Order: sequence, then structure tokens, then C-alpha cells
Amino acid sequence: MVNDSKIARIAFVTLLFLVLVFLYGPLLQPILVSLSATGQIDSGMTFTTRWYSEMIQNQMIGRSLWTSVVAAFLTAIIAPLLALIAALAIREFRAKRAIILLMILPLFIPPVTMGLASAFFLKLLGIPSSLLTIVLVQVIWALPFAFLVIVTVMASFNTIYLEAAYMSGANRWRAFVDVELPAILPGISGAAIFSGIIAFNETIRTTMVQGPYNTIQTYIWSTFLQVGLSPQLFAVMASLILITVAMVLVMVGISLSRPAADVR
Amino acid sequence: MPRAYRYLMFLSPVIFMIAFVVGPIMIMIAVSFWQRQGFAVVPAFQLDAYAEFLGGVRTAVLSRTLTTAFFATALSLLVAYPIAYYLARMSRPKVVRIVLMLLTIPFLINYIIRNFAWAYLLVRTGPVNMMLMQLGLTDGPVDRLLYSTFSVYVGLLASYMPFMVFPLWLSLSRIDGRLLEASYMLGASPVKTFLRVTLPLSMPGLFAAVIFGFVGMLGESAVPLVLGGAGYELMGNTITSAMNVLNYPLAAAMSTVTVLLMVVLIAMWYFLTDIRTFLGQIMGRE
Repeated sequence: MVNDSKIARIAFVTLLFLVLVFLYGPLLQPILVSLSATGQIDSGMTFTTRWYSEMIQNQMIGRSLWTSVVAAFLTAIIAPLLALIAALAIREFRAKRAIILLMILPLFIPPVTMGLASAFFLKLLGIPSSLLTIVLVQVIWALPFAFLVIVTVMASFNTIYLEAAYMSGANRWRAFVDVELPAILPGISGAAIFSGIIAFNETIRTTMVQGPYNTIQTYIWSTFLQVGLSPQLFAVMASLILITVAMVLVMVGISLSRPAADVR
Repeated sequence: MPRAYRYLMFLSPVIFMIAFVVGPIMIMIAVSFWQRQGFAVVPAFQLDAYAEFLGGVRTAVLSRTLTTAFFATALSLLVAYPIAYYLARMSRPKVVRIVLMLLTIPFLINYIIRNFAWAYLLVRTGPVNMMLMQLGLTDGPVDRLLYSTFSVYVGLLASYMPFMVFPLWLSLSRIDGRLLEASYMLGASPVKTFLRVTLPLSMPGLFAAVIFGFVGMLGESAVPLVLGGAGYELMGNTITSAMNVLNYPLAAAMSTVTVLLMVVLIAMWYFLTDIRTFLGQIMGRE
């Protein structure tokens, strides 16, 4: 590798630092506002948990959060399962590039467009809005990410172990379940949590197919559109940020405990 | 298992995508040609929605959206490319993983929440203005920090740039270091090496980043609402307002234009660049 000059390294670290400040700095705002008695950030700020107790008493928020959790949970099961099958299909068929392109297509479709298309589709087929339609659009959005995670993990698995299993008399199903699956399991659980996080944080696609149901994100969005933001809403946002970060930490924890996946 | 069942199982994700992504998009394209009758929409083949979109005041919306998406994508690349470039050259995989994780976390947190935060920070009496005044950079608060082109760019960059690092990094880390050494040994300057070797070889990743950023920003609906303020119209929020007045063909026509651009860009990606190098990085050896 060609050595980089010191100046280049300093420039890179500075840029990275500024980008991280740009990305993480704003995350402090909802947390500070939600803890401030006046709902404002200033030097003489007094702390309060008032907005959080109001938040907990708000039944709309409780109900929306429950919908979000159920939808994210279902997405976290369905998306990695489809992703795993798709990753196996790449090995099976010759049209690899076409399959990959199709699987990552939703990455490149703007939320409004995908939401609109889903809404037309459901309306045309006469399918009423329900939890399932919410899960559908969330799976569509999470699937490319789950797919990329699983394909990457499966690429680090050496298929020679499968051949060894075949030679020992295992059929394809047994070879997959007994040899490959344990090795790629951390990747699959990583993809599941990733899908759950993606679904939990989705707004725009969901608003187009939600019907009378609210997820916690669409609750924030519709309240913003109708009456604007409030300290209580910032308390919800702060909680969502912390929940998301906690889920990421769980995901990192799982990926660090990956003894089996390093079989090469 | 009979052969047909096995195919059906393996192809279930493909069938899922065709049924629930490609199919709905096709339906949306069809609706863009339909006819409005009062509040209802009936199947037809007419270009009224497109005339309404491309003929009237909305031409300005389209051109503003295209310019905004173009420059915001370019700016994102200017930030994301150097980061990806340096990450790809880093020799310690642990550090690379940590940095990539740090860029992933904000991407995972709902970008609308992050845009609300920016709106709060940039408002006339907000922290950013206070800081600028305390530093003595301005005498009074800067009015156009929020609800301006500036704040819209901030929102777009914060929403789309972090993820653009990934395809760039995938492509750049695939480049064989020996090619760069060869280029140096043959007397090329670092700049020339970058322009003639690194940049062309990173095209698959660059294209993927551009499609993700540009098409996403083209259809972005929340950022102009939250950070652009009343009357700041980009295509995304114009689509939702057309939906709100039940003008489905118009909403569909505008969405069709974004899809069309997406298809053109993906086709260019597929045929003009060697995406095997890019996908190969994901799929391991090929």
C-alpha cells in the first residue's frame, strides 16, 4: 500500500470528525428539549421529566408504539427469511446479476413513489389498510439491506465445507442446515435486527398505506403536519433515538460474538 | 422435493419483488395516464397529467428539484468520496468497521426526526444563530438559515450522504493496491493516478451512490416540508399535495418521472460500468 502523507491523514481525520459532528450533533437536540422544563434549550435550563410522564400517559402514543413494535417484529422475521432464500437463489441460478438488481431495487425508489405505488396497488386489488399492509411496505424497504448483509456473510463461508458434507452422505438440505446455517447464523440475526430497526424507523411509505392505524413514526409525522411539534413529541423522538441506538448495540454485540462465522 | 417446487421456493423472493414492487410501479405508471372525473379516476390513455405537470407552474418545481438533487448529490459525493477513499486504504479492519458503524447509526435513526432537530437548531432564535452571534460572526441573527435553500441542502446531505459512503467504499476497497504502485512506478503523479486509475475503477460504486442519492433526493418529500417551509416545493412534497387533493394521475405522473430517471440511471450503471467488480465484492470470489 502506498503511504499517505501526514497532511492527507490529518485532512481525513478532520473531515471525518466534522461529518460525525454534523450527523450526531443534532441528535442531542430532542434529548435536551425533552428534558427542559420550558421546552427550550438555553443556559438557565431546568430539568424535568414532565414531558416523559405526559408521553407515557398519552394512550395514542402507547397504541402507536405497539403497532410499530409488532410491525418491526414481523418485518424482522419476514425480510431476512426472503433475503436468505434470495441469497441461496444466487448460487442456484445463472441470472445472478438480475436477481441481485431486483433484490436491491427498492433502495433506489424514493419513499413517496414506493408508498404511492403500493397504495394504488392495494386499492386496485381491494385490499384494505391493515397491520399487514404496513408490514408489506416495511418489508419491501428492509429487504435490500437484509439481503446485502446475508449475501456478504454467505460470501465469507467457504462452500468446500458443503462439498465435504455431500461426500459424507448428507443431502443438500442436511448439509445446509447442519453445516452452513450455523456458520452464517450471526449474519442472519444481524440482518433480522437491521430489518427491525429499518422498519421501526420508517415513516413516509407507511403513511401511504396505514389507513386508521398509526405507527409511532407516523404519529409524530401526522401530529407535526396537523398541530406542529411539542416538547412531548420531542420526548417521543428522544426515546426513539435511544431505542434505535440500543438495538444497534445489540446488533453489534451479536456480530462480535461470531465464532462460527469465521470458518474458512 | 420435485423440481418445480424447488424452483418455486428459490424464486419466492424474486416473485415477491415482482408482485409487490415492480407490479405496483407498473400500476402507478398506468394510473398516470388515467382520467379524472370529479373525485374518481377512470382508466383511459391520456397525457393530461403530464401536461399539467410539465406545462404549468410545476415546470419550475421540476427544474428546481433537478438542480437541488444534482448539487446536493455532488456535495454529498465531495464529502463521502474522500471518506470512502481513505477508509479503503486503511490497513486496520477494526478501525474501518468502527467508522462504518458510526456512519450507519445516524442513517438508521429516522431521518425525519433528524430533520426536525435541524429545524430546531437553525431557527432564527435557535442555537446555531446564537453561536454565530456569540462568535461575533454576525451582528444579528441570520434570517435565512431555516426555510431556505441552505437548510434544504443540510437536510438532504444529513439524510442521504452517510449511506453513500458504503457503495463507494465497497468499490474502492476492491481496487488492487498493486495497480496504484504500478502507476507510481511508471511515473504518474498522485493526481494523475487518481484520475486515470482509482476514479475509473471506482465507477461502479460511484454510480450506485449517485443513483441512491440523486433518485432519493429527487423524490424527497419530508425535507422540503420540514426545512424548506411553506411554499418550498420540490417534487416529493408536490406529489403528496397532489395526493391530498385526490389528483391521483398527477401524483402518479410525477412519480413516474422519478422512476423513469431511476431506470435510465440503473441501465447506465448496468451497461456502462462493470458492476461485477462491485457485486463481486459483496459476493466474495466469483
